[in-house]
Amino acid sequence: MTALVDAGLLADVQKFGAADVSACFSCGNCTAICPLSTNDATFPRRLIRYAQVGMKDALLSSKELWTCYYCGECSDTCPTQADPGGFMSAARRYAIASYDRTRLARTMYTQPLLGSLFAVLLAAFFAVFMYASHGPQDAGSLALFRFVPEELIHNSGVAVMVIVFLAGLAGVVRMARGISRQESIAVRDVVGSRAALGRSLRALWEALGIESIGQRRYRVDCETVQEERPWYRRRWFIHAGTMWGFLGLLAATILDYGLALIGVKATGTLVPIWYPVRLLGTVAGAALIYGTTMLIVDRLRRSNRSASDSTPADWTLLALLWVTGITGFLIELALYLPQPPVWGYWVFLFHVSVALELVLLAPFMKFAHAVYRPVALFFFALARSRSETGA
Amino acid sequence: MTDERRIGVYICHCGGNISDYVDVKRVVEAVQGEPGVIVARDTIFACADASQQEMEEDIVKHHLDGLVVASCSPKLHTLTFRGVARRAGINPYQYTQVNIREQDSWTHTDNPAGATHKAISLVKSGIARTRLTEPLEPLVVETTQRALVIGAGIAGLRAAIGLADVGLEVFLVERERELGGWVGRFGAIYPHGRNGRDLIASLVDEVRKRSSITVFTNAELMAKSGSFGNYVAAIRINTDLPELIHVEVGSIIVATGFDSYQPEAGEYGYGIDGVVTLPEFKALVDGANGSLTYHGRPVRTIAYIYCVGSRQPGANEYCSRYCCAATTHAALEVAALDGQVHQYHLYRDIRTYGKYELMYTESRKRGSVYMKFPEDAPPEVSRDAAGRLTVTTRDLLTEGQELAIPTDLVVLVTGMVPRKNEELMSLLKVPVGTDGFFNEIHPKLRPVETVVDGVLIAGACQGPKNSAESVASGLAAVTQSAAILKKGVAELDPLVATVDADACTWCDKCIGACPYSAIEQVEVGGRQVATISPATCKGCGGCVPVCPEDAIDLRGYTDAQIRAAIDSMLEEPVA
Repeated sequence: MTALVDAGLLADVQKFGAADVSACFSCGNCTAICPLSTNDATFPRRLIRYAQVGMKDALLSSKELWTCYYCGECSDTCPTQADPGGFMSAARRYAIASYDRTRLARTMYTQPLLGSLFAVLLAAFFAVFMYASHGPQDAGSLALFRFVPEELIHNSGVAVMVIVFLAGLAGVVRMARGISRQESIAVRDVVGSRAALGRSLRALWEALGIESIGQRRYRVDCETVQEERPWYRRRWFIHAGTMWGFLGLLAATILDYGLALIGVKATGTLVPIWYPVRLLGTVAGAALIYGTTMLIVDRLRRSNRSASDSTPADWTLLALLWVTGITGFLIELALYLPQPPVWGYWVFLFHVSVALELVLLAPFMKFAHAVYRPVALFFFALARSRSETGA
Repeated sequence: MTDERRIGVYICHCGGNISDYVDVKRVVEAVQGEPGVIVARDTIFACADASQQEMEEDIVKHHLDGLVVASCSPKLHTLTFRGVARRAGINPYQYTQVNIREQDSWTHTDNPAGATHKAISLVKSGIARTRLTEPLEPLVVETTQRALVIGAGIAGLRAAIGLADVGLEVFLVERERELGGWVGRFGAIYPHGRNGRDLIASLVDEVRKRSSITVFTNAELMAKSGSFGNYVAAIRINTDLPELIHVEVGSIIVATGFDSYQPEAGEYGYGIDGVVTLPEFKALVDGANGSLTYHGRPVRTIAYIYCVGSRQPGANEYCSRYCCAATTHAALEVAALDGQVHQYHLYRDIRTYGKYELMYTESRKRGSVYMKFPEDAPPEVSRDAAGRLTVTTRDLLTEGQELAIPTDLVVLVTGMVPRKNEELMSLLKVPVGTDGFFNEIHPKLRPVETVVDGVLIAGACQGPKNSAESVASGLAAVTQSAAILKKGVAELDPLVATVDADACTWCDKCIGACPYSAIEQVEVGGRQVATISPATCKGCGGCVPVCPEDAIDLRGYTDAQIRAAIDSMLEEPVA
């Protein structure tokens, strides 16, 4: 099929911080050295070529954008210093912005000042909105949900979730349709028969379980350059800690709400540290804080290739995650102090506002990779099993 | 008479190149008893100084009058051993070189016995020829200290200045009204980025400063007569009253340049509005004022299609070599005008040889995208009903993906073709190659000389060249002219054809066989006979076999000598 060339593509991708890949002469050293590039998914050269030539649809429909974890070996060995790894990273930002039709993501990425201002104003809006319905600040005990009504938080949360779900779904559908077209995968190839369904389920498990939660390729294939570091300082572990922490907190919140629904424990009831939901929340929170703190430290120290070039988008996500984690712990602290401090109420208001913002902005910022990457990994696993079985 | 000859024969080992396969000692023994052979020896390296001295001593000591060296190809050492003969007092043309390396040891490495037998035959045959040799003297020609330069492009202008500066008088003939040729019409050109018009202006200025250069514009060479060192050129000056003047010159430098390939209508969309050739594009870029426009429309995207009219089987099969670099240079000019213009280069192969590679890299840095299309699926150009110009191509670096490139301008990168110069070709008698460009004798060893002595070629009339290469070849032609003319005399090989006037019946068959117009009809003793100009004859031998009366013989390769050589070879029984 003939592809219509978009002459402005490379310049557009470069707005997302792409290195100057015009130096690239397509030698393919990057693809050869890449520990993750396989016959079913070759990159980075091919994707750089798409950008140079102006094949916008092909670039946005490439699952390979998301099978890269930016170890930086390609950039270290590139004979023309075209920084293929940096390009891949920018192309992912470009893809997130392109899957989003509202142009919010594009603004957040390409106009950092405006984006930061928007983020601050949005958090302030949530704070003012919550504060407008505030109740009394009980001095005897820290009755947080009397200060900011639980109902209000819950309803706002649901509203934000719905928006995020719809925005995320729209992006995922756009991306999945693109990849299916590029890989010539029809619906019947995914769910059309028992065999296809079985294959798809296995691919789903591989994408979500083994690759996303298990971080297998990130852990095993992509860490060759950092073997000299202790395990708790390796990139995959820091990233996994952040992710597991976030997922743990999400699970703890849902479980806590569930327990309240079935009347086991009302939200906000003080429970001892060993209480399973609280224990999960505490451990997950610690993991999130460790992960985000180390990510920030690595970026400040530029301690590896992927951390050496930080965009405002990277800092925004880290800042929101870190602030959410830290404020969460402060609330824990305030709750269990013998004499409940008044600042606990304000930290709580701040925590709720930032957390809502974090979730609401997720599809429009770097956080979106948490959805797009598993989708791409699903197609990657599918392509591999199809090529293995010759389907 | 043959018994009176005193011949020395030397068989060379060539340090093993010959002796590893040919039993050299046996060859020496086999030829020792041949009639006329006084000395027969083997030698490790015949061409070594010590060996040459030894031969000279033998020649003097034994009063030899003929010399045979059996060694390598005559191309390598004929002149070496003619020198040995001359220094020792033998006429150099009584020397025969026998090739037992390229024609024997190297070709029969699997059969030493056969190689030895063949060497014996070859040497005996050389001895047989040598027995019949006669002393020959080189033709000495007085040369005219003037040169004619045809074509006043950058090569011709620079050659004219160079000739004047070595003290030769120059006639510079230009067919057009203006001097300067192609380069004179260009703005900035690679590799130096200097303005072509300025370059030509400064060269013309230098020409005007030199009183020894006479410039004829609107002028053409109409006829060439005379022979090497003393040509008479008839030049027609095309004014209102055309004038024919004759000048005597010693050498002629042909610098008639090239034509740009003109695509057929429809070839890669040529004829569609927005499709231009490289020279048309160059004019567009040179004339751009601030930004690049075409017919008043701004040019935002350009697609270049390379090798148009070049490297086409059955047509122009050669590479024009200058176009890749010229196009990358033009692309850099465009980028300098407006860095936002998108430039797509669709190529079969890119050859920005030598330092021009830097321009290629620079153009890529400035955003030019290079796409390689398959040889069997060249790009297609079309303009749709809505007026959109599109090039469709396959990019081999993107897995052969078919791409449609919307563009404002399509540049057909056209190469050089030979000038249509039938009259000039026929009157100069300089052969052209299958590509239609004038042929040199050897592209590396004798790059500006032609088979016609004293007629030299320079610039793009010889084959595609850029301006720097044209200037270099122009100066090479100056050096060659100086070598021929500055001594005032030149020596020519005496190995030419001669006519036995008594036997000749003037059937005129030989005239048709001569590619150099060396044969004329003359009256001798009331009879019409053929005569051959020794200064024009190249000794090719073409006329000898066509003569029904056997009246023509080639000096140095007479019928008798060749017959003796063959007979001697046949005498040797096959072992």
